[in-house]
Amino acid sequence: MFTLVVGGAASGKSAYAEDWSASLSSRWVYLATMYPWDAECVTRIQRHRRARAGRGFETVERYTDLAGLTIPEGTSVLLEDLGNLLSNELYAPGGAGADAALRGVEALLTRCEHLTVVTNEVFSGGADYGAETMEYLRALAHLNRVLARRADRLVEVLCGLPNVLKGGAI
Amino acid sequence: MIFVTGPLFAGKQDYICAALGWTQEMFDAHGVRDVERLAEQAGDLPTLADALAAHEVVIATEIGGGVVPVDAGQREARERAGRLACQLAQRAEVVVRVCCGLPQVLKGKLP
Repeated sequence: MFTLVVGGAASGKSAYAEDWSASLSSRWVYLATMYPWDAECVTRIQRHRRARAGRGFETVERYTDLAGLTIPEGTSVLLEDLGNLLSNELYAPGGAGADAALRGVEALLTRCEHLTVVTNEVFSGGADYGAETMEYLRALAHLNRVLARRADRLVEVLCGLPNVLKGGAI
Repeated sequence: MIFVTGPLFAGKQDYICAALGWTQEMFDAHGVRDVERLAEQAGDLPTLADALAAHEVVIATEIGGGVVPVDAGQREARERAGRLACQLAQRAEVVVRVCCGLPQVLKGKLP
């Protein structure tokens, strides 16, 4: 089951993705992509770790090149999140561009029993940004659309509540 | 409590007043809006959410759908607004998202 979960800032998308994933299987690899750029990122990483504690998620931190990751066949993976993975592939040391982010998710799809990908709604704040940010937005929107087409289930999370846009009958 | 969310100028208050048969005066007496602005200054979000939930209708504008702000204060305000909305949705019997003036019920049933 490939599930794509999309939501804005503090929309409850992570909690929803974890609850949904836990309902599918009791053992998950939690693939954490947030690069610890600064103290705020570190605090955020710690808050998410606390929220997941004791829920059967084994955390693996990986910032780039998901295709190079050794994941045993049949593993279930919760990837959090696509926006960070893309910015790492574009801007972090070892990054290999937007295509590498898509290749990484595709590699997971070939090996995972269940894959849940959390992605970001960052497209409703206008377009008054610099060229680099616009390039990032276009690349993330492209990833979202490609993955939503492939997903068995697409869920938009609004104030912690799911709005199922695809795969609702499952 | 009915919690109404949606983007700026989506017709959230117009919709809920029409659905409930409320006038502006009734809304002023029994509803509260723009609560995302309260999240920024509030000391404790659950306490704020409890207080707001005493109203019959609570309306928040969704502000978490843009690019992460460069300014740390704006980032924090946006996060707090999002968390307040989650807490209000938990406390609400009914949650409605309004888009272009049209409702989508996310939780419960409208009276």
